[in-house]
Amino acid sequence: MNQLVSLQLKNVSRSFGEVDVLRRISLEISRGEFVAVVGPSGCGKTTLLNLLSGYDRPTSGTIESSGRRRMIYQQDGLFPWLTVNENIGLGLRQLHGEREREGAVTDLLRLIRLEGFERHYPHQLSGGMRQRVELARALAGESDILLMDEPFSALDYLTRMQMRRELARILAERPRTVVLVTHDIEEAAQLADRVVVLSERPAQIRDQLRIAAPRPRNLTDDEVVQAIHRILTVLGIEHEPERATEMERTL
Amino acid sequence: MKWKAIVLPIVVAAALLAVWAGVWATGAFHESAFPSPLAVARGFGEEMRSGRLLNDSITSLFRVVCGFLLAVGVGVPGGLWLGQVLAARLAFLPIINFFRNLSPLAWMPFAILWFGVGDAASIFLIFLSVFFPIVLSTMAAVANIPAVYFRVAEDYGLHGRERLTQVTLPAIMPQVITTLRVTAGLAWLVVVAAEMIAGRDGLGFAVMDSRNGLRTDLLVTAMIAIGLIGIVIDRVLVQLTKIPSVRWGYDR
Amino acid sequence: MFRSTAVKILAGAALLVIVLGVLRYKPWQRRDQPMEAARASLNVGFLPVTCHLTCPVTDFATRTSATTRFESQRFTDFPTIVESIKGGRLEATFMIAPLAMKLREQGVPVKILYLGHRDGSTIMVRSDLPAKDLRDLRGRVFALPSKYSNQNLVLRKLMEDQGVKPDEINFVEMPPPDMPGALASRAIDAYFVGEPHAAKAELDRSGRVLYHAKDIWPQFISCVLVVTENLIREQPEVVRDLVRGIAESGEWAESHRLDAAKVAAPYFRQDESVVRYVLTQPPDRVSYRMLEPTDAEMEQIHRMALKAGILERPIDMKDLIDRSFIPPHIRAAEISVN
Repeated sequence: MNQLVSLQLKNVSRSFGEVDVLRRISLEISRGEFVAVVGPSGCGKTTLLNLLSGYDRPTSGTIESSGRRRMIYQQDGLFPWLTVNENIGLGLRQLHGEREREGAVTDLLRLIRLEGFERHYPHQLSGGMRQRVELARALAGESDILLMDEPFSALDYLTRMQMRRELARILAERPRTVVLVTHDIEEAAQLADRVVVLSERPAQIRDQLRIAAPRPRNLTDDEVVQAIHRILTVLGIEHEPERATEMERTL
Repeated sequence: MKWKAIVLPIVVAAALLAVWAGVWATGAFHESAFPSPLAVARGFGEEMRSGRLLNDSITSLFRVVCGFLLAVGVGVPGGLWLGQVLAARLAFLPIINFFRNLSPLAWMPFAILWFGVGDAASIFLIFLSVFFPIVLSTMAAVANIPAVYFRVAEDYGLHGRERLTQVTLPAIMPQVITTLRVTAGLAWLVVVAAEMIAGRDGLGFAVMDSRNGLRTDLLVTAMIAIGLIGIVIDRVLVQLTKIPSVRWGYDR
Repeated sequence: MFRSTAVKILAGAALLVIVLGVLRYKPWQRRDQPMEAARASLNVGFLPVTCHLTCPVTDFATRTSATTRFESQRFTDFPTIVESIKGGRLEATFMIAPLAMKLREQGVPVKILYLGHRDGSTIMVRSDLPAKDLRDLRGRVFALPSKYSNQNLVLRKLMEDQGVKPDEINFVEMPPPDMPGALASRAIDAYFVGEPHAAKAELDRSGRVLYHAKDIWPQFISCVLVVTENLIREQPEVVRDLVRGIAESGEWAESHRLDAAKVAAPYFRQDESVVRYVLTQPPDRVSYRMLEPTDAEMEQIHRMALKAGILERPIDMKDLIDRSFIPPHIRAAEISVN
C-alpha cells in the first residue's frame, strides 16, 4: 500500500446470513483526507465503519489500513464514571510518565476550549462539550485515523452547526484522516473533502464528489450548496438543475 | 432549606408522639395493650442502664453486617459471572429464581437444625435473603451495560482484568449500590424476624422476649431501636451514592 | 480514583465487622472467670413460664457451686427447642410431656427424667362473662397454646365429663403471651395456659379464673425434664447433678416463694410482681414438690395423646421414662438471695 494512503478497500462485501449489506465496495482514502459517507438510512453505513475500524471483518474483499484508528460514537462513548481528564487520559495510555500525560491532556483541553472542566464528569457537561471531549480523547496519543459514526446526531441544531466549526478548526490544528459516516448531508458537504454516496441496501457506491473549498466553510457557500444539491439529486430527492435555476429566476 | 429538613421531621415525630399520648389518655386500651410514652421512656431507660438494649443492638448489627457482607462478597462476583457468561446464566437463572422466591423464614427450621440457635443461624438466613437479589441485580446490571462502553474499551486497549475493573465494575456500580440499599433494609427486616424465632439475643429476640415477659413497654422500646438503626443503616449506605465516580447513575 | 475508593470501602467494612465482633463477644470478659473451664457446664433449655421456674433457680444455685454449672438457656417457643435437640445443640430441656412422647415416636432418643412442676395452669374467662363451667362456653372462642399441650388433653377430658362435644367450642391455637391481650380485647372468650400468662389477665382484671388445673386434675402435669440418651450415656454424673439440682431448687422454691420470684423474674425478663402473684395467690397455684413421674399418670397422658391423635401409635413408656437419677432424699437447696 502506498505511503500516502490511509485506508484501502478492495471489492469489500459484507453479508449477514442471507442479507447482503455491502456489495463490492472499493475505496481509497489518502492520508489527511476527510471523507464523508452518506446514504439512505439503513444502507449499511455503520457496517462499513465497523469494517474500517477492524471491529468487523468483510465476507469477501480486503481492507488495509495504516495508522492508529480511533472511533467516535453516535451515542455517548465517554465513560461516565471518569472525569474529563481521566477520559482523555484513556487515549494517552501508551504515554509513559505522569508529567507527559498531564501536559498532553492540558494541551487537548485547550484545543477543545474546555480548560477548567478537567475535574467535571460527563453528565455535568452539555452534549456539545461531551462531543468535544470525545474528540479530544480520540485525538490523544497521536492517533492517525478518526472514524466518526454520526457524532453530532444527538445534538440540537445550533450546537451541531457549532460543532462542525469546531471540528474544522481542531482538524486544522491536528490534521487527521477522517471518515465521517452521517445521514446529515449538510454536514458532509460542509466538512468533507470527498463525499461518498451509497445506494440503498445492498450498498454500492453511487457517486463520489470532491469539494475543493478550504475549511471552515459556510453552509451558504456556493460550493456547499451545490454539493448538497448534487447529493440530494443522486439520492433522488431533488430535481434536475434546470428547474432549480428556473426557481431562482422567479424569485 | 436546610433547617426544614431538620425541623419538619421533628414536628411530625412530635405530632405522632402527641397522638400516641392522646390515644393512651383516652383509656380506650388497657395499659398492657397500649403502653404510654412515659412507660416506654422508662423502659428505654431501664434497658439502657442494664446494657441490654446496647448489647442486643450490637448483636443484631453484627449479624446483619456479617450476613450482608458475605452475601455481597459472593453475590456480586456471582452476578458478574452470570452477566458475562450466557451458558452460566442459562444454567443457573431458573434455580436462582426458585430460591429467590422462597421466604428466608421458611429456612428457619433448617437454620436451627444446621447451625443451632445463635449467630450462625441468623447470619445464614440473612445471607439467603440478600444473596439472591444481589446476584440477580448485579447480573441484570452487567447485561444492561451499553455495548458502546466495551467498544470504547476495545479501542483504548482495555482487556481482561483491566476491562473488568475499569469498565464493567464502574459501569454497574450505581445499580449495585441501589441494590445494596434495598437489600440492607431487607437484611434488617430478616434479622429481626430470625431472632424472634432462632435467637437468644438481638433486637428481634428482645421483641419476642418482651412479649413473653408481658412487657409491652419494652417491646415498643425494641421497636423504636429497630426503626432508628434501620434509618442509620440506610443513611450510611446513602454515603456510597455520593462517591463522585458513581454520581452519574443518579444525576441524570 | 475508583480503586482507592474501593479500597477505602473494603477497609471500612472490615473494620466494622471487627469492631462489632469485638463488642459482641467481649473477649476481655472471658478472662475474668478462669475457674469456668475447670467445671463441667451444661445448657438446659426453658421457656419463661412458671412451669419452668426450677430451671433458672438451678442456674442461680449453681453459679458458684463446686459441681456442674447448669446454664439455663431461655427459648421463646417449643419448636425451636425441638429443632435444637434434633440438631444436637441442646441435650437437656424442659418441655410439655406429650411433645416428649412425640419426639420419642419420631425416633429422637430422649428420656423423661423428672417433672418440672405440678399444677400451675389456669383456665381464664373474660371477667364480663357469667360462665360457671365449660357448658357456658359453647359457641365461644377458646384459646390453647398448642395441640401438643397437656392443657389440650385435659380440657378434652373435662369437656367429655361435662358432656360438651369437641365442635361445640371454637378452639384456636395462640402463643401464650398473646392470650391476655386477646382476652382483654375480646378476640377470645377464654383460654387455658401455663402461668404467668393466666395471672396477667387476672391482674389486669380483664379475666377471672374459671378453673385452676388442680381443680380439674389434681397434681396436673404439663412440663417434664427431658434429656438425650447421649447425655445420659456420656455424662451420667452431670445428669445426676442436674436432677438433684432441680429437685432441690423445687424444694427451696416451695418454701421460699417470694425469694424464688425474685430469683426467677430477671431470667424470665418478667415483672417480678407477676411472678410473685403466681407463686403466692394462692400458694398452691403451682407446686414444685412430688416431681417423680408415676407410671399411672404418664400412661394416662399417653392414652389421652393417642386418643387426641397427637401420637399415631403407642410408644414404649419404659423407654421414655427413667427415674434412676432421682435422689432418694430431697432437701432444699441452699440459696441466698442478694
